[in-house]
Amino acid sequence: MREWLIRLRDWLRRDRLDRELVEELRFHREQLEREARGAGAPPEAAAYAARRRLGNQTVIREEARDRWSWPWLDHFLKDLRYAFRGLRRSPGFSATVILTLGLGIGANAAMFGVIDRLMFRPFPYLRDPDTVHRVYLTWQDRERSRTSSAFEYTRYLDLKKFTTSFSQFAGLATRRVAVGLGDASRERPVAVVNASFFDFFDMRPALGRFFVASEDVTPKGANVAVLDYGFWQREFGGKNVLGQTLQVRNISCLIIGVAPKGFVGVAENEPPAVYIPITTSAGNEPFQRMAENYYRTYNWGWMSVMLRRKPGVSVAAASRDLSQAHVRSWNAELALEPRGTPAAVARPAAVAGRLRTPAGPDAGLESKTLLWVTGVAVIVMLIACANVTNLMLARVLRRRREIAVRLALGVSRKRLLAQCLTESMLLAGLGCVAGVAIAQWGGAALRHVLLRNISALDVVTDSRTLLVAAGFALAAGLLTGLAPALLAGKGDLAGALKAGAREGGYHRSRMRSALLVVQGALSVILLVGAGLFVKSLEHVRSLRMGFDAEPVLYATANMRGMRTTEAEQETLGLALLTAGQAIPGVESAAWVSAAPFQSSSSTNLYVEGIDSVRKLGRFTYQSTTPDFFKTMDTRILRGRSFTAQDRKGTPLVGLVSEAMAQALWPGKDAIGQCMRVGNDTMPCTTVIGIAENAVERSFSGEKGFMYYLPIAQYEPGSGYALMLRMRGDPRPHQETVRKVLQAVMPGQSYIRVQPFDEIIDTERRSWKVGATMFVAFGVLALLVAAVGLYGVITYNVAQRMHELGVRIALGAQAKDVVRLVVGQGVRLALVGVTLGLGLALFAAKWIQPLLFQQSARDPATYGLVAVLLLSVALLASALPARRATRADPNSALRTD
Amino acid sequence: MTPTPRRDLLPGTLDMLILKTLTIQPMHGYGIAQHLQRLSDDVIRVEEGSLYPALQRMRQKGWIRAGWRQTPNNQRARYYTVTRAGRRRLGDEQAGFLELVRAIGRILQPD
Repeated sequence: MREWLIRLRDWLRRDRLDRELVEELRFHREQLEREARGAGAPPEAAAYAARRRLGNQTVIREEARDRWSWPWLDHFLKDLRYAFRGLRRSPGFSATVILTLGLGIGANAAMFGVIDRLMFRPFPYLRDPDTVHRVYLTWQDRERSRTSSAFEYTRYLDLKKFTTSFSQFAGLATRRVAVGLGDASRERPVAVVNASFFDFFDMRPALGRFFVASEDVTPKGANVAVLDYGFWQREFGGKNVLGQTLQVRNISCLIIGVAPKGFVGVAENEPPAVYIPITTSAGNEPFQRMAENYYRTYNWGWMSVMLRRKPGVSVAAASRDLSQAHVRSWNAELALEPRGTPAAVARPAAVAGRLRTPAGPDAGLESKTLLWVTGVAVIVMLIACANVTNLMLARVLRRRREIAVRLALGVSRKRLLAQCLTESMLLAGLGCVAGVAIAQWGGAALRHVLLRNISALDVVTDSRTLLVAAGFALAAGLLTGLAPALLAGKGDLAGALKAGAREGGYHRSRMRSALLVVQGALSVILLVGAGLFVKSLEHVRSLRMGFDAEPVLYATANMRGMRTTEAEQETLGLALLTAGQAIPGVESAAWVSAAPFQSSSSTNLYVEGIDSVRKLGRFTYQSTTPDFFKTMDTRILRGRSFTAQDRKGTPLVGLVSEAMAQALWPGKDAIGQCMRVGNDTMPCTTVIGIAENAVERSFSGEKGFMYYLPIAQYEPGSGYALMLRMRGDPRPHQETVRKVLQAVMPGQSYIRVQPFDEIIDTERRSWKVGATMFVAFGVLALLVAAVGLYGVITYNVAQRMHELGVRIALGAQAKDVVRLVVGQGVRLALVGVTLGLGLALFAAKWIQPLLFQQSARDPATYGLVAVLLLSVALLASALPARRATRADPNSALRTD
Repeated sequence: MTPTPRRDLLPGTLDMLILKTLTIQPMHGYGIAQHLQRLSDDVIRVEEGSLYPALQRMRQKGWIRAGWRQTPNNQRARYYTVTRAGRRRLGDEQAGFLELVRAIGRILQPD
């Protein structure tokens, strides 16, 4: 080791060492000379004798120099310099290659950064991440398979009790609640966790301590809080805060510690600001029923569970253990609520899955789409590599004579290969630098446009992403360098030396054609994907959702855990409604108990002649004020909406959705029918109108049934939000509305106003991500492929100038020449298009679930893409074809 | 006086001899050659051609260090000093060599 260090140092100062050796030898010679003169020899003889004694100095120097030189390193540097010179000589080629590879590497680095953060990166401080899982429960519900990582605290206790495979358990949830008091209070993510949560990690608190099991007990834990490091720094300036209190929702917590720097728990997005015991949070729930029963009943699924496998327990065994525990827990629930589905029908089971939910079994559409987009980025990289290989091959072919000369002069083929690879590696390295820059910039754009929930996408400072970029660059360097290197190394020496510029090369482009076909095919796949996603997005956008939320503001009242009575809540609702309706610019407003995509309520429903309404599907209701339909622009197809006259004491009325009317009273007029809401002993709620169907929970997935009740008649305290329909764009009114409504809010409670469109946009995001990314990458791929085709055709034309000249001399017309050249390009494109369409058809079944009301085998999209690609091919070969028509018959004939 | 016949060094012994020489005091290349020649009564004649590459090798192995100094005659010369690693190496080689010589001696002159 030490010796290598010395040798490396010697290598670095080898010139000086050489000079020193020369001086050393001269000194030796002088001494010998002096010695000889001392023995009485004449000066010339002495000098001669000294030189003879010392022997051949050049040999000595060379022998010594070998000791401090590294031939391979010298060679490598020489190759590098050679490659640099070569690239500087052809800046166009270099720039194209570097940019192409940079785009490929950049796309991949950016996408890797996204999905790594979303799905793969281990959480900081987590010990043995491979043995830690999140629990996903599965069961059958009305013929549909369901998976969920959110369940009841009681269920968690059951799982803990009924399993033996796990050494650690912790329940956890993140809740966005108000933290702080007065003006300083903000809505922040708060992690509510078991005390055992902290034992999953190898860490010590930055300050104080974490909470312990005795502070985390049912029914109600201690009022203690541990701060996030960043939150502590920002809000408390990193001062000693131990012993101070912090208001978290309705709990006044004693600060007992600060988590270490960089700790985020298992937060997938924004790190929590505060950690409090899970039993403290649940035990202080504003709803009395929840606070008292969360650990002994099964009707509030809100938390998730992480656990650690014992050593020697496989993942499959862990899942089996959890499954049997889920069955026992299911039966325990049935013992409490005998009307539930029996276990034999529901088939409860469980999976010990990935800790990160986007990588777990109930991952959302968005993360699946992102995985596909990452695959697309890899395809872009392959196209880029194919293109660069093509360019490099062309370069080698152009330099065949030079290479042949060098081979003839005795350069070994191995060295030649090394040189080729050095060149491609150098290009890949520069491409990597460009790629990181592109990823840094593109990642920021990506985050801005699409993925606001991903906390940071910094590439330059992220070692994992940089490593991946370097890996891609290395692979690209090898991939693009190998074919040209092999081509350069073989080949017929004498032939190349003899041949002039007009021979050779042309016949050797089979490999290049194959690469073009592959590029074309891959581009087709991407463009087909792009088309399908764009259409999906269009479908989602043009979908009649059953309401028009564009001009609607959504104002939620956050009571900050204040316990209000039903009457108080009703009064607040009326006050807000009155205040809201008086704001200029507000067309109409409604106080609601549910909002699409945000929340829903359901209860038992009884209709004469139907055994169990529940079995027909999911019925949800909205208790609201009369202007709801006007505010949301939900059309009433028949009948009427309820009015202010439908209040407490008057006969109960309601509206049902069209689908619900058909499901409950097929073939009959629903208006005037009777349904009993909540209990079969309730008086009739008479159907007075039929509303259009509305999207309630998600765009995809099952269709539910909706009904609408006057909030004055049914659960007047259940309202929580105000919908305000504005005239025109709601955004400019946002702050005015908030101020006016805030004035109405009592005590510490506050109001939050956001355009309802934003919520819907989030729901549409997976298709937006898919459409944007597929289009971006598809266009990129098409561009790269077009440049590749253009390059190859141009090159071929240049190679065939002589032949074309002869053809023209023999009477070929310009159009014949054009047909010849363009035909070649189009033929290649046709093969690529056919191959690509075939592959796309094959891949269709996997991409189908990601689309929205769009067949993955849509002929129009496929046709359009084929036409597009062929047109681009036509264009890319038309330019060289024009040059071909200018082939000069005179010079062609003269050279022979 | 007939000149003493010169003998080639046994392979591998040059390093040992150089190290031994340098334990007396730091010396330049010429000095080392002179010293070996004198002490061996001119039997050992160090080829200057092999001396310098050997010195480079030993320096890279970390057995000796090189530095420029003034000679007593006020000339600049490169002096070599033995390092601690060099002394250890010398000890090992010397022990091994003496054992070898004794073994050879026993074979050549059995009692």
